[in-house]
Amino acid sequence: MKGVLTYMHRDFIRWIRYRVGVVSALVLPAAWLIFVGLALPVQFTGNYLDFITPGILVMTILTAGISSGSLLMFDKILGFLNKFLAMPVPRESILVSKILFITVRGILQTTIILIIAVLIGATILNPLQYGLIYLILFLFGVFIAAFSTTVALYLNDHDSFAAFTAMVTMPLFFTSSALMPYDVMPEWLSMIAHVNPLSFAIDAIREIGTGAIPIFPIALLMLFAGVILILAGHMFRKLTV
Amino acid sequence: MTAIETADLTKEFGSLCAVDSLNLNIDGEIFGLLGPNGSGKTTTVLMLTTLIRQTRGSASVCGYDTLKEPDKVRGCLSYVPQDMAVDTNLTGRENMLIFARLYGIDNPKDKVDELLGVMDLSGRADDLAKTYSGGMRRRLELAEALVHEPEVIFLDEPTLGLDVSARKKIWQYIHNLNKKGMTIFVTTHYMDEAEKFCDRVGIIDNGKITALGSPAELKAGLMSDVITVRIEGEYHPVNKDGILYVGNSGDEYSYTSENGSEALPVLADALKISGNNVMAMSIHEPSLDDVFLQSVGKQEEEQGFEEWKYRLMLRRR
Repeated sequence: MKGVLTYMHRDFIRWIRYRVGVVSALVLPAAWLIFVGLALPVQFTGNYLDFITPGILVMTILTAGISSGSLLMFDKILGFLNKFLAMPVPRESILVSKILFITVRGILQTTIILIIAVLIGATILNPLQYGLIYLILFLFGVFIAAFSTTVALYLNDHDSFAAFTAMVTMPLFFTSSALMPYDVMPEWLSMIAHVNPLSFAIDAIREIGTGAIPIFPIALLMLFAGVILILAGHMFRKLTV
Repeated sequence: MTAIETADLTKEFGSLCAVDSLNLNIDGEIFGLLGPNGSGKTTTVLMLTTLIRQTRGSASVCGYDTLKEPDKVRGCLSYVPQDMAVDTNLTGRENMLIFARLYGIDNPKDKVDELLGVMDLSGRADDLAKTYSGGMRRRLELAEALVHEPEVIFLDEPTLGLDVSARKKIWQYIHNLNKKGMTIFVTTHYMDEAEKFCDRVGIIDNGKITALGSPAELKAGLMSDVITVRIEGEYHPVNKDGILYVGNSGDEYSYTSENGSEALPVLADALKISGNNVMAMSIHEPSLDDVFLQSVGKQEEEQGFEEWKYRLMLRRR
């Protein structure tokens, strides 16, 4: 566990020193929230901001996490990984630290988005509801971070990986329930949106907003995250033998 | 307990045999594994540091088998790869603290201060590592490798890409560490450095050790002078008493003889008569470069090997 924290500490310092990276990670979701949340003329809901905030939160986790598989890939390419692997620290802690770092970093960003949302008029929820939102964002974050790391380890090439993340990010977002409810979608889109993992997280957060506790979606996200974690662990072990 | 021991250590990548039946016994010394790029040096280090698994054979570091007790092996060694992996956006001190914490040192801050001092980095410890020169980054890596006081250190091409004075300094530190009792395993393709600083060297080519011993012992396998001839165009071998062919690298052909200044004109004439276009000749004392040429040549012509040895023995009498 100490190893995990030290590895995370390293990634945090490196992230914070790239100030442009920190700012840009916040500008995109904030722009979505403000320009789309406040400006789009929609009829299907009274407070569109309340409707779109869960979508933007999940999108923030997605964009923060999907390209982060490159963290482990670059450690490998630049020779850090071999140094770390030759240490008596449990090897899995490298993988765990990367996934946790990516997730926690995403959660820090979503916190700022949440604050902005409340400032510009989103409904304030009770602490339990926020706690549940964070639980869902955390599970979804682990899912995305592990997914991204697995793909990066599999592709093992930075250009291919960049092309991959550029390819999946926007389609995943637009085919989810982030921007509109299922009943106003065209049927083909609604079908895709129902199986899009982003929708599970978004719908679950919306359910929390109505006062319910979404046990089934939380369990499902746990299952997703667990399966991808096992896959990531498998890829990592293949790399390190 | 021997610091590093291998028995028939072999690594195959598909049909390519990168390291072929390596038998080494290294303890308390600076051991240099020499060879050209792609000869199997790094593969050997990766096996000894538990980063890849061998195909056959066994290896032990500090008495622990690399396959059976990899955690214990990792606990007693340090590995500095050739990539210069230093976090450039962290200060030297931050880089070191990460390693100290990963190794679970009791007083990480004190240990880091001490080692920064040992490596002469105290003055720049709080600058970002991207402002460091190549030599300083290498020293920082060495300092990182020392935080847990390892018994064995593996250095893969530690002086690659450094200028002359930085190289000298790195070797100085390596020497000091060895004096404190650390076993040091270095790979390099700089023969001159190995000759000066290693207690013992192994020359590896195509995955096989072709010569093993102290630089002086290995050089004693040659006669007292080496004559190097640059020949343009086709090479026609010559055969003269008292002059032995060592090997060639590119268009430079080397011979060895007990008395170089007498052998040189004889050799020059012989080469001309055989139809060689001699461009330049020089005499020098045997160096590891010559040992390398000799050992590689031996390996290439297996059947000529015994005769070669026999003739050399006759000459030396």
